[in-house]
Amino acid sequence: MEVIKILGTEDTPGIVMDAQNEIFEISGRSLPEDVTSFYEPVLTWLNGYVEGPNPKTIVNFKLTYFNTASSKVLLDILMKFEEIHNAGKEVLIRWYSPDDDEDMQEAGEEYADIVDVPFEQLSY
Amino acid sequence: MSEEILKALMQLFALLVKQDAGVDSTEVEYIRNFLNQQLTDESAREYLLLFEQHAGLDKKSSQDSVGDNSDRVKLTSVKDSVRILGICKKINKTLTQRQKVVVLVRLFEIVNATGKFSDQRMAILNTVAEVFNLEKEEFESISLFVTGEGSLDLDFPEILVIRQSVQTSTKAKYIHTEALDRELVILQVKSVDLYFLKYTGSEDIFLNGLPLYARRIYLFASGSTIKLPKGKPVYYSDVVSHFLADSTSVKVSYQVADLNFHFRSGTIGLRNISFSENQGRLVGIMGASGSGKTTLLNVLSGTETPTSGNILINGINLHLVKDQLEGVIGVIPQDDLLIEELTVFENLYYNARLCFRDKTDSEIRDLVDKTLTSLGLIERKDLKVGSPLNKMISGGQRKRLNIALELIREPSILFVDEPTSGLSSRDSENVMDLLRELALKGKLVFVVIHQPSSDIFKMFDNMMILDVGGFMIFYGNPVEAVMYFKRLDQQINSELGECPTCGNVNPELIFNIIEARVVDEFGKYTPSRKVAPARWEQFFRENISLAPVQKETTSPPGSLRIPSWISQIKIYTLRDFVSKISNTQYIVLNLLEAPLLAFILAYLIRYIADPNSSIYIFRENENIPVYIFMSLIVALFLGLTVSAEEIFRDRKILKREAFLNLSRSGYLVSKIMILFTISAIQALLFVAVGNAIIGLKGMNLYYWLALFSLASFANLLGLNVSSAFNSAVTIYILIPLLLIPQMILGGAMFSFEKLNRSIGSVDKVPLVAEIMATKWAYEALMVKQFKDNAFQRYFFDIEKRENSADFKKVYLLPELRNRLDECTNAIMEGLSWEDYTAAFLVLRNEVFKEQKVTPQIVFSQTEGLRNGEFDIEVAGELYEYFDLLDQHYTSEFEISNRQRENIVNFMLTEDPVKYRYLRDHFFNESLSDIVKKVFEKNKVLEYRHELVQQINPIYRDPLPAGPLSFRTHFFAPEKHFLGREFSTYGFNVFFIWILTALLYFTLYFDLLKKAIGFFDRPGLNMGGNKKPVNPV
Repeated sequence: MEVIKILGTEDTPGIVMDAQNEIFEISGRSLPEDVTSFYEPVLTWLNGYVEGPNPKTIVNFKLTYFNTASSKVLLDILMKFEEIHNAGKEVLIRWYSPDDDEDMQEAGEEYADIVDVPFEQLSY
Repeated sequence: MSEEILKALMQLFALLVKQDAGVDSTEVEYIRNFLNQQLTDESAREYLLLFEQHAGLDKKSSQDSVGDNSDRVKLTSVKDSVRILGICKKINKTLTQRQKVVVLVRLFEIVNATGKFSDQRMAILNTVAEVFNLEKEEFESISLFVTGEGSLDLDFPEILVIRQSVQTSTKAKYIHTEALDRELVILQVKSVDLYFLKYTGSEDIFLNGLPLYARRIYLFASGSTIKLPKGKPVYYSDVVSHFLADSTSVKVSYQVADLNFHFRSGTIGLRNISFSENQGRLVGIMGASGSGKTTLLNVLSGTETPTSGNILINGINLHLVKDQLEGVIGVIPQDDLLIEELTVFENLYYNARLCFRDKTDSEIRDLVDKTLTSLGLIERKDLKVGSPLNKMISGGQRKRLNIALELIREPSILFVDEPTSGLSSRDSENVMDLLRELALKGKLVFVVIHQPSSDIFKMFDNMMILDVGGFMIFYGNPVEAVMYFKRLDQQINSELGECPTCGNVNPELIFNIIEARVVDEFGKYTPSRKVAPARWEQFFRENISLAPVQKETTSPPGSLRIPSWISQIKIYTLRDFVSKISNTQYIVLNLLEAPLLAFILAYLIRYIADPNSSIYIFRENENIPVYIFMSLIVALFLGLTVSAEEIFRDRKILKREAFLNLSRSGYLVSKIMILFTISAIQALLFVAVGNAIIGLKGMNLYYWLALFSLASFANLLGLNVSSAFNSAVTIYILIPLLLIPQMILGGAMFSFEKLNRSIGSVDKVPLVAEIMATKWAYEALMVKQFKDNAFQRYFFDIEKRENSADFKKVYLLPELRNRLDECTNAIMEGLSWEDYTAAFLVLRNEVFKEQKVTPQIVFSQTEGLRNGEFDIEVAGELYEYFDLLDQHYTSEFEISNRQRENIVNFMLTEDPVKYRYLRDHFFNESLSDIVKKVFEKNKVLEYRHELVQQINPIYRDPLPAGPLSFRTHFFAPEKHFLGREFSTYGFNVFFIWILTALLYFTLYFDLLKKAIGFFDRPGLNMGGNKKPVNPV
């Protein structure tokens, strides 16, 4: 599988999807102007990954902010991992939030409620 | 709305409005209003508190969160974003798509209350719509509808504008009204079939009797009415028809003019009914019991012809030019038309096969699947329908499937008789939703409805109210009807059609007013009504004039292409076969019954004569004739019981199939084929088991054919009965009445010679017994068994000659000589002619007969005898003639006797074991005694100046009087017809089939039913109203 590597900017997050080296990460701020087209390659990639996932997948979310529109796409991404988890593969979501950011921490908890996939809350 | 959902909604509202600058007082006001509409004051307060809590209003010092960072306030917090997602997901699991659309519109509305459409708020709305899986276009149109002001913003096809000025918009729909300051805008959300309404002006406009506030969004639910300051009100159906105008292609106009209907008894069923409708309408027909609703439906659907008046469908007279309208009309009666043993899919599938000759099997399967899907029955498709008592599917599903039977054809006009009777309110609403959807798709649907709920009542576009005696006392909008009657009754609040708080309409109110009775001075109700039906009708004519409809002239599309006769038989047979085979109990019983009975019968009567022996000898079993007769009775019984309920069970389905112009003969032939197959199998099993046990060898095929023929006759008899009588009980009461005569007159239990003289006869089988199939079958088998068994067949012809000669010599000639003596003596003594006429006639007749049988012995004075010339000379010649005959028969007897003994001796010397075997296992003494009548005391009887042989019927050839006289004495060895000779077996079996064919004829024309109907008093069944009176 090819590797997705998007560098982060002020309004868009950095994304790495590298199945071979087992790196899955979304970090930074997410408020792109057109959320759908920004995340489209990632979702396409994940559709492919769902077909043949690694036995173990650890996904790191290190976000500092995301807007409402992004929240929906993030949920879609999480649901892809949920699919993998439901297929019997090991999946772990590591949800990093800044020490002082209760909001981000609670957002992680809310996500953990919506999707059925192991969540680990971490702070940095 | 459940507590959980309301909580979720409060959170959603709170999260939405807390964005940007925070919650506005207008927004809180909106929420308060919203809650007050849904809840009691107390719980409204509780939920408002919840709202405030989530919106962050309870924190008095909101500085810390607001003042923090002005940049962060503008952005929606990540926590809120995810929380909104969570709430929406939760809502997704409980609410229907329609409810979700309503929620979204409410969210829009609350934002619109302050007009603060910031990016953050829009982003949330967008996301909510996305999670709710709403189409992008519909989200856009809702957004435009809520925020847009003038009609210029709102110029797109999903919009309808009600306005005073002329139409300016090009895409939006338009309804004209008078004196309206601004405009009413209605939005269609097509995917969920919802309509929303808003009003931008400030005049008093009422939606269902409640005032409209500007800027608010209202759900424009089915059955709603908008009251405008001036001009006529706008009904839900008006709005819907505007949106549907583009989509419907089939145009129908249905015009009824001055319809009158008189029953045969003279009672008037309908009076002066006139109205007209176009496609796409749902019309209800209501009325007290006995007001002629069902009669009206029958006349409107073309099943009954009106006494006067006419119905034009697109200009074609329904009752005169019926064939041009074939397939245009569909009727869904109240009866259950399902075949219980078939699955949901099969019921619809065979029905569809019978309706479409041009479609291939896979096309029909697809169509059935599609129809089942659209009715929400696809998951049940493989379930057996079951009886209404032994339920496999719910009452509502049953009703929907019944509707589907007719729906699959897509007739343009549909008549439905009481679709909701007996259904739960949920099922009723489902069924009515289905009918309304059909109307929305452009069908014209008429529904007889009884005690509808408020929601159902409001669904109708128009409601016709009939009063006792067939008077039409109202036609128009249903909610309007309530107001109309309240007004006439001078009730208060007559302008309120429905309850101002709950929106309920009480249709019962109408009937309470219509049927109000006069109170006497003691305060008791008298039987006389305050307002007579004729008076109500007069009010209606004075107050309401019906609007004319668009007349269509193109002929409506028929949707019925019934298959050819042969294909119909195939489909019927397949349908019947599948339904029978799926009933395991039925199959097992039918297959086991015959061999079981055969076993019981044969085993019980397998009798060994010698008490000290254990070797069964067929020859000595005295029960063989009884066995034959009992087998026939069994065949008759089985044949009758298997068929007696067949048509009766299908009678409702048959009625419907007659409506579709399907062939009755096709149906009957298929039924008969299946029944004959069952009978053939049963007969086979019976003979195989019974004959094997009783040791009856070498005749199985003949026994099978005889039993099968008799069972087939019984099948037809059963079908006749089941077609003619109207309840299962009468049918079963009738069975003994049909069977007992068959037993009495079968020839086995009572001798035909010894019956009551009024029917009995000495020389032939009585006429009444000639129509008994058992007699023919019994005679056939007895004669066959005696004549053609492996032993007797060597001797039969010889023994026949021997016995005939013996009878002539020993019994007949002495009798004749006696009579000749009598005549001669009379002449000698000079007695008059009258004294010896009887004796002479016998002599003459017998001499004639003898001359035919033995032409080689000549009697010269035949001519003289014929002319009654008799003297001593003739007597002398007769004496000589008798002597010659005596010699002739003596020698014939001796020759035959010798022949027989030679054969016996030959066989005994050749193979004595085989001879004994044949005699013991093929010949039966008891049977032989019966067909020879060895115990008969009167060997010969004088009857009508002839001497009738009473013994040895099996050896006595019948003497036919003419080519058509096929009747003979019982156990005749052969039969004559049209100058030809037939074996008794073959002729008798053929005759049973003639009787069977005759029964098919009476069945096809339903003669039995017509005969019964002829005797029924016409007065007993007047009005055609079979339903019990419903308590009001």
